[in-house]
Amino acid sequence: MAYLRKNVRTLTAGERRRFVDALLTVKRRGEYDEFVRLHIDYYTADGEDGLRAAHMAPSFLPWHRRFLLELERALRRVDSSVTVPYWDWTRDRTTASVPWTRDLLGGDGRRPDRQVMTGPFAYAAGHWTLREGVTDAAFLTRDLGGSDDHLELPTGGELRRALDDPVYDAWPWNSTVRHGFRNKLEGWGSGTGSASWHNHNRVHRWVGGAMLGGASVNDPVFWLHHAFVDLQWHRWQSAHRDGRYLPEGPPGAGDEQHGRVVARHDRLPPWDETPDQLEDVSRIYRYA
Amino acid sequence: MVVGAGGVAVGTEQRVTAAAHRPSRREAARGLLVSAAALALAPAVADSGPARPAGDFRGGAFDETYRGRRIRGSWVPDPAGPEAGGAWRIAVDGRPLHLMRRADGTWLSMLDHYTSYPTPLAATRAAVDQIGPRQRLRAPAPGPDGGEHTGGHTHMGGRHGVPA
Repeated sequence: MAYLRKNVRTLTAGERRRFVDALLTVKRRGEYDEFVRLHIDYYTADGEDGLRAAHMAPSFLPWHRRFLLELERALRRVDSSVTVPYWDWTRDRTTASVPWTRDLLGGDGRRPDRQVMTGPFAYAAGHWTLREGVTDAAFLTRDLGGSDDHLELPTGGELRRALDDPVYDAWPWNSTVRHGFRNKLEGWGSGTGSASWHNHNRVHRWVGGAMLGGASVNDPVFWLHHAFVDLQWHRWQSAHRDGRYLPEGPPGAGDEQHGRVVARHDRLPPWDETPDQLEDVSRIYRYA
Repeated sequence: MVVGAGGVAVGTEQRVTAAAHRPSRREAARGLLVSAAALALAPAVADSGPARPAGDFRGGAFDETYRGRRIRGSWVPDPAGPEAGGAWRIAVDGRPLHLMRRADGTWLSMLDHYTSYPTPLAATRAAVDQIGPRQRLRAPAPGPDGGEHTGGHTHMGGRHGVPA
């Protein structure tokens, strides 16, 4: 029977505690750092050769769906009542709202080193030492709202513009494509500066610190953010009943994207499933 | 299964170009192919190279102090020759910073992964903006044979199907 993923703001005090405890256990066992490494390893940019499975690609959504399922499976081995909650950043938009509370993820980083000082993931609490990172900081960092440039989280309207696009993705299937649901949600714009960050990307930037870099998985908000992104794929499917994952088949030998994107029935590394198999996961979980 | 560096075959033939000989993402991220000697020599090599073809992304080597940190960067051609491509080598206070290129020609760094910048220098400065006081980039972790340190194998790619 399918289990339920809930909005993090609706979790009871007991549910919050069990979610946090499961994360800390997975971390203590050394499993968590494997997730950090995997995400680093699969970030291939689209100006380089090689297969793009996780980002700047149509498989952005199924790759992260499968990644979340793997974390969720690890959490549920610890406590079978736990599921990954989602953070609706169109509604919970301030540094004082969930999930930035002491009983969940803790709050903003301090000045000037951005070290998270509150909650169960603060370094001083003794359970969350970073071992895979870009800098040598052993503590989790955040810069909520980008203290230097006062960034706002994406709005419901911006998310709606992604959801309204009836086409899943389009050639050249990368960060430069201007239409299609996938990139509007992943959020690669043109130009530089605030106007070029949308939806998923903008949230990584808004949280800042660890979430901005290659080792973004070090901040557990990664999972709450990506659960909400995953929910958008489900919503898009509900709104566009004929909408399917694209490309349906692999780009041909003469196509510059040949061998660089995962088509609907291709294997999605490092797993054995295909995007086709991951389009409908309603028998595994659903969203409340 | 072992989850290693990028360039994983996926049932379709991998695109084979000279640039495929560039360091893997993990090697590059760990800075294994960067040596002080290469960094020191690279500007001269880049500057003495042939005229840049359209769309080339060489040139623009830099060596400056930004927010108290020494940042150096240069284009290092592939040893196989100028047609084989190359890679930017960046160091912040002597430690390697991996840059990636977007299809629109802009650049991202490991520290600022969700925003791209017009030049390697701009991407490097933005990365420095993200390094807190008393922090440094993590030092490379070479393996016992000087090759890639792969102590971090993950075990998520097993033969299981969609989890139930």
